[in-house]
Amino acid sequence: MFRLLLQELKFRRGAIIGWSIGLSMLPSIYVGLYPSFESQLEGFQEILDLPIYQAMGMSFGTFEDWVASTVLSLIPVILSIYAVLDGTGTLAGEEDDGRLEMVVTLPVPRWQIVTVKAIGHGLGLFIILLVAGLASAGVFLSIQDQIIAEIDINSADIILTLLSAWPVVFALGMVSIFLGTFTPRRRIASIIGTVIVLVSYFAGNLAGQVESVENLRYLSLFTYYNATATAFSEGQQAGDVAVLVSVILAAFTLAVVFFNRRNITVGAWPWQRATVS
Amino acid sequence: MNENVIETRDLTVYYGKHRGIKDVNLTVRKGETFGFLGPNGAGKTTTQRVLLDVIRPTSGSATIFGLDCREHGVKLRKHVGYLPGELALYTNMKADQFFEMYEYLRGDNGTKGYWRELARRLDLDTSRKIGNYSRGNKQKVGVVAAFMSRPELLVLDEPTGGLDPLVQQTVMEMVREVKKEGKTVFFSSHILPEVQAVCDRVGIIRDGQLVATERVEDLFAQRLNRLTMIFETMPPPGAFDQSGVTETGRTGQSVSLEVTGNLAKVMTKAAAFGINDIETQNLSLEEIFLAYYGRGNGGANHV
Repeated sequence: MFRLLLQELKFRRGAIIGWSIGLSMLPSIYVGLYPSFESQLEGFQEILDLPIYQAMGMSFGTFEDWVASTVLSLIPVILSIYAVLDGTGTLAGEEDDGRLEMVVTLPVPRWQIVTVKAIGHGLGLFIILLVAGLASAGVFLSIQDQIIAEIDINSADIILTLLSAWPVVFALGMVSIFLGTFTPRRRIASIIGTVIVLVSYFAGNLAGQVESVENLRYLSLFTYYNATATAFSEGQQAGDVAVLVSVILAAFTLAVVFFNRRNITVGAWPWQRATVS
Repeated sequence: MNENVIETRDLTVYYGKHRGIKDVNLTVRKGETFGFLGPNGAGKTTTQRVLLDVIRPTSGSATIFGLDCREHGVKLRKHVGYLPGELALYTNMKADQFFEMYEYLRGDNGTKGYWRELARRLDLDTSRKIGNYSRGNKQKVGVVAAFMSRPELLVLDEPTGGLDPLVQQTVMEMVREVKKEGKTVFFSSHILPEVQAVCDRVGIIRDGQLVATERVEDLFAQRLNRLTMIFETMPPPGAFDQSGVTETGRTGQSVSLEVTGNLAKVMTKAAAFGINDIETQNLSLEEIFLAYYGRGNGGANHV
């Protein structure tokens, strides 16, 4: 099992390195630029007082607010794109290009195949977040002395808070893996996964603006991720994490069930499985 | 002990409303090399995929070593080597890494490192990335993967596809060797000499249905020939009517015949009309089958 897992990570090595570098640049730039912009940020606050930004929890009042509004709120959304790509590439992508046939004809139960690939996917996301966190913390340490305002966080807080985005991105990735076992082709799974990410992000934020549809935000997975400055001091809410873990487990269970029933290489919806009349 | 290694009963697979295979009843005995023939889309790959539990039957059953292919799939697949017809490999792995992984996943059955011997035999450089291989070398990887655990049953879908003639011969030697060891081989091929050289029996599948199974030696004993003769004087219809001779067409001054057995009986009659030219055609095993079984007018299991 462990060896298979290593292999799964090897398959993703290039993507993990690329996304780690790419995603490290974003927080590094935002954190690194803070001392230069610090004195001018008050002017932006008026814009951020607009309801839409308020609903998104954006504020530039403190360094923590700045990091939360720029880094914490963007990283999970961007990483969700990788989660969908890799999640649907796992199983569905391998089935599309024919590689999965060699795997499922080995003496390995299908649930084990799903499990190893899901863990490999989750670990990949974790590593990317960890690298991004380490890069941000490194930049923070290098500019810490240049920040005028009082800072209540340290480099470890930055790393841990970035890692706290893992449940939400893994939930979206696991949903994508499930979609790959449910839909006929990877392309369809990718489209549905992308729509889920976009609708989750935008609808989640917009629902907070309109009282009549406010409750719809609970359908957005991003609702269960605290991307405000309080995440540094209070961390993620246990209830929110529980919801995301439930989604991960539910998607994993469904992926196992549907993959176990799936006719590999056929590319059909579950209801298209024929029965003899 | 059940001597049937593979057994299917009324095996049917539908893809939605489309037919994959229908009511396939097939047995492959222990130690037998069974050739599975049929045109593209006939259902060869579907049958093999059901045996390996890649796809599930709509109805009917498939067993290997007497055990249901789905229920006991994991246990069975420890003893089955499989080479898919549409081989796709993890291109970012080196071949030796792939074989080590494959060996690990198949479990230790005392054949550790055997893949090295097979790779040497097929002249495969395993230190290279699979993605950089030619089609032939990729096929060699598939062949080694199928044979490397010395399985009791080999299911091979077009095993020599993409290989050069010398390597094809080596692969056929490997098939003969496992046959000598008493192992069972179930393989599909379009190459007549291959089938003729290694198979004990053949089965032909057409439009998803098993048309017939027959011993290879019995088939070739039929000595079926296809002749086209050009005459000076066109013979009248029915001129060649006799047992073992079928007129399959006539145009202008030429007549086409399928003749089973000795040609002398036809040649004597044909000579009376003055033969200007004669053309004989080697029939593929599939064509022999189709001719033998009346081009789809019902199936038959002769053996």
